[in-house]
Amino acid sequence: MNSLAKRQQHALPSHSRLGRPAPFSRPGWQLWPGLTIAGALVLLSAAGLGALIWEASLPDISQLWQSRYLRTVVTFTIWQAFLSVLLSLLVAIPIARILARQPAFPGRAVLLRLMELSLVLPSIVAVSGLVSVYGRQGWFTGFASDWFGASWNLYGINGIVLAHVFFNAPLAARILLQAIEGAPPSQLRAAAQLGLGRWWYWRAVEWPAIKPVLPGVAALVFTLCFTSFAIVMTLGGGPAATTIEVAIYQSLRFEFDSGQAALLAMVQLLVCGFLWWLAVRRGLTASLLPDRRVAAHRTKAGSSPSARLADGTVLGLFVLFLGMPLLAILIRGLPGMGSAFFTQGSFSVNPALLDATVRSLAIALPAGLMSLCAALLILACGTTSKKPAITRLTDVAAYLPLMIPPLVLGTGLFLLFRPSLGSSSEGLMLVTLINAMMALPFVLQMLKGPLGSLDSASRQQADQLGVLGWYRWRWLHWPRMRKPLALAMAYGTGLSLGDFGVIALFGTPGQPTLPVLLYQQLGSYRMDAAAATGLWLVLLLLLLFSVFNRLGSPLNKTGLATKSPRSVPEPEHA
Amino acid sequence: MLEVRNLVFAYPDQESPWNFHFSVEPGQCIAIHGASGSGKSTLMNLLAGFLEPQSGDILWRDESLRKRAPWQRPMTSVFQEHNLFEHLNVETNIGLGIHPGLKLTPEDQKAIKQGLHNVGLEGFGKRLPGDLSGGQRQRVALLRAMLRQKPILLLDEPLTGLDSDARDLLRQLLLQAKARGTLIVLASHDKEDRKLLADSVHRL
Repeated sequence: MNSLAKRQQHALPSHSRLGRPAPFSRPGWQLWPGLTIAGALVLLSAAGLGALIWEASLPDISQLWQSRYLRTVVTFTIWQAFLSVLLSLLVAIPIARILARQPAFPGRAVLLRLMELSLVLPSIVAVSGLVSVYGRQGWFTGFASDWFGASWNLYGINGIVLAHVFFNAPLAARILLQAIEGAPPSQLRAAAQLGLGRWWYWRAVEWPAIKPVLPGVAALVFTLCFTSFAIVMTLGGGPAATTIEVAIYQSLRFEFDSGQAALLAMVQLLVCGFLWWLAVRRGLTASLLPDRRVAAHRTKAGSSPSARLADGTVLGLFVLFLGMPLLAILIRGLPGMGSAFFTQGSFSVNPALLDATVRSLAIALPAGLMSLCAALLILACGTTSKKPAITRLTDVAAYLPLMIPPLVLGTGLFLLFRPSLGSSSEGLMLVTLINAMMALPFVLQMLKGPLGSLDSASRQQADQLGVLGWYRWRWLHWPRMRKPLALAMAYGTGLSLGDFGVIALFGTPGQPTLPVLLYQQLGSYRMDAAAATGLWLVLLLLLLFSVFNRLGSPLNKTGLATKSPRSVPEPEHA
Repeated sequence: MLEVRNLVFAYPDQESPWNFHFSVEPGQCIAIHGASGSGKSTLMNLLAGFLEPQSGDILWRDESLRKRAPWQRPMTSVFQEHNLFEHLNVETNIGLGIHPGLKLTPEDQKAIKQGLHNVGLEGFGKRLPGDLSGGQRQRVALLRAMLRQKPILLLDEPLTGLDSDARDLLRQLLLQAKARGTLIVLASHDKEDRKLLADSVHRL
């Protein structure tokens, strides 16, 4: 014990030999940047909406029930969102249950990754895949017509709801699966030991686990379907199948009626705002980031051969539902890829495709980074402050972009900054800003769980050792956050990469991004080129996810554990 | 001298609050014991600054600690478990106790190596806490506490659940710390620990 004794003799007075506090350890560093961003978000949203109302003078509110068109738009938006939620959950609940009781089968990890990706799959690309399968000439339509004599029309409410289920059922199932797997281990162990059958397993384990997150999932899916734009633009069938978001686009782009756009935006804000107020107030917002720490628990309910066969059949149908449009995108896109990347046998990227790719990345990467930084700062502010008003402000700021239509926000800000917004590059900067805002709720929800996952014992230790500010981030949060941050960045960038809302309004036709180029190619019936662009967009997205996934893997550095599955816990529920 | 003066604390649903009052000289050990829920851990958390008392004061060398944050207090805690950061290896866990940003001098690194040798954990520096036994983890926690050079050690059942060899080694370490002038507040329900280490016993 000589060295211990020696050190003890010349004891140091402070926790830090430097004699100064850890960098950025003052509470203000964690409070003010996030508070400023949250305030700016609320202000920007209010200013955007306000500018539109100011410019246009809001029409009489009675138009909402007197104008047949507006009445139809509002009721159709609510109806299709309601149907989409209902069907998405009807698909998602059994799928989540099956995936929970079948913890090990070949391809499970790939399926889960595919389900997570549905959030960022560009709508316009997915729709082209859906058309290939369920359209008039589609594989499934042909099969159904030949074998059952059934006919159906993809355009209108059928297609819109189908596309919404395609996008949202996997997302909902992924969150519900996480909830089931996150059930208390003691309950899972007890259920496994007692050999509970399906019905009792549902009542004792699954339903109590799903119940708390179900309203939040329903609110999320409802909001996403309520504010859906690209799907309704492409699959909507005229005024009878138009949502508020599309009606706003038409008002702004073709009818130049910003008053009507503002009125519709207010309706959207009220409906989605009320829904999210309910969800946030009751703490019902579910984490979007999957928790991979959960240990698998075998249950009797899923172990018999007949149960496995039944589960396999349902899962197979789900995989077909999810995989066929993706397969169609691949099959239809491959022939066009040749001409997109090769000219007369030599490698040469089509200039239009290259330009659109560079432009898309130039918008998406900064948008992803901005949303990531904003989310981190807002979360730091929300967790540091103990004042309810500040927590409420950060909550509102985080979810506001889900409620205010991006088109309205963009138009309002455009009107606000009009004198200084001259060139197209400035328009693209506005698109970047709005895309970052649109991605914020998702990025924030992904980081919320991991950032809050530091247990109280570790927090106390860190407090006592003076591991604060930058040091706490470096040694305690970074090892846990590295992967979620990379994944959140990938989601933020991916959401912006596939954006076909704001860019449709502010982009110039001569300078398209990839989704706009795809839309232009579809519009001019260059189907091969459009399919190739769609496939390229999906491949780019996969590449982006692989790169960020690689960046998120822990490094072998002194002090940091390399045995990642146990040593660096993945995030918990938000 | 550490002086706890009428320190009053109650949890929101608690009917009668705790009132702690005692004093200890440097180089001495006070043992606190009592049934489960009698307030031993609460007292430790109050002393460490993890909980805020409703009234009363804690004085160290006649200076109030009440307004001081946990990292500004002259004490280090060792609990029965959860003393280490599970995702960081043993060396890093100890190093963060010496400098919260892990800016270690060669002398610090030498002290860590020597310390690990002294507690019988030579060659364990790169291991994760999860790869150690309960006794080994407690030795690491105690070593970190000692290398932090704080004059007060708060020990909340630090030897509970350990095998006899580990207990003996840790007891020796604590006796040596005491001999060097470290003040120890020990919460323990073990009679033998109290008899061996404590100069005074306080029942809650």
